[in-house]
Amino acid sequence: MDNISIRIPASPVYLQVVRLVAAGLATRLRFTLDDIEDLKIAVDEMSAYFTGTTGREGTIQVSFTVHEDRLEISGAGEFSSGEKVRTDLTEFSRMILDTVADSASLEHTNGTPTFKLVKSKAQ
Amino acid sequence: MNDRATLSKDEVRSLFEAYRAAGPGEQPALREQLVEQHIGLVEFLARRFRNRGEPLEDLVQVGTIGLLKAIERFDLEREVEFSTYATPTIVGELKRHFRDKGWAVRVPRRLQELHLELTKVVGHLGQDLGRSPTVPEIARSMGTAEETVLEGLEIAQAYNFTSLDAPIDTDDGGSTSFADQLGEDDEHLENLEYRASLAPEMAKLPDRERKILYLRFFKGLTQSEIAERLDISQMHVSRLLNRTLANLRHALEEE
Repeated sequence: MDNISIRIPASPVYLQVVRLVAAGLATRLRFTLDDIEDLKIAVDEMSAYFTGTTGREGTIQVSFTVHEDRLEISGAGEFSSGEKVRTDLTEFSRMILDTVADSASLEHTNGTPTFKLVKSKAQ
Repeated sequence: MNDRATLSKDEVRSLFEAYRAAGPGEQPALREQLVEQHIGLVEFLARRFRNRGEPLEDLVQVGTIGLLKAIERFDLEREVEFSTYATPTIVGELKRHFRDKGWAVRVPRRLQELHLELTKVVGHLGQDLGRSPTVPEIARSMGTAEETVLEGLEIAQAYNFTSLDAPIDTDDGGSTSFADQLGEDDEHLENLEYRASLAPEMAKLPDRERKILYLRFFKGLTQSEIAERLDISQMHVSRLLNRTLANLRHALEEE
């Protein structure tokens, strides 16, 4: 399995880059268009916790792990002090993510907010 | 955001009845109440246009003109909620504002063509294959690079293809065509609407967007299946869904 990592400023402006990388890797795995669109929604939904709608002071490290049949995406936010990030998914997010991803979680590890997403190729 | 909308559906209706029955002396005060009651909707819709270089306050003013028009034209005989009726009129007013100013976002020709081609190819391939196509399949069919397809898919989100995306804009209102088609699922939609903080935001969505959200996340239909059911392209479903989710995120965050 291969790893790809990118680091972006914690601004919604750069989520397009994350979506494109995700879509590019999903293409390598021969995901269908429906699954790619779902993956992009999942990436947006998760990342929104880190960027907010207007951006935050800090960066997000996004790592992609390419397995044979699935893509794992994890994110870790590094923010200036004072920036508050939610650590639990809203009911609405949960509903969205349950539909578009195999699994999705939001956590706090040693003071760093992290997320993890898994999306498998359709059978 | 919705704190001024304090009246129930029935109370709004009563207020409208009072307004219609009132003499010229009493009308302005009642109209004021109706505006106050729905200004949250105007603000919500105005926010959808705020990234186009106009101050939000100005957009709210423009939208309020649309609201006033809708108040004047609303027909109480119609079995439709006023907010549903008013939405296309308010959006129409906002769009006209930008059109008149010539500020509508222009999509470069190359991207327009790429988008049209993609929409067509994705539709055809989906039918031929009986499933959603992969990017290599789309690229081969278009005789282009996979990167171009990926770019096309992503760019489609960034631009607002207004002619395709616009809420059904009849201007004199009465845009109930989608609502009319949706009868079967209304019960579920009703339940959905009562979900805590989401409820008021969901209620404000245009019928089609709400329907797509519902079919995707409550019924588990894929984007292709929704496209087929609503007889629009998969690309269009994707765009509407992404935009609706972004709007809901904004709205919920601002609470």
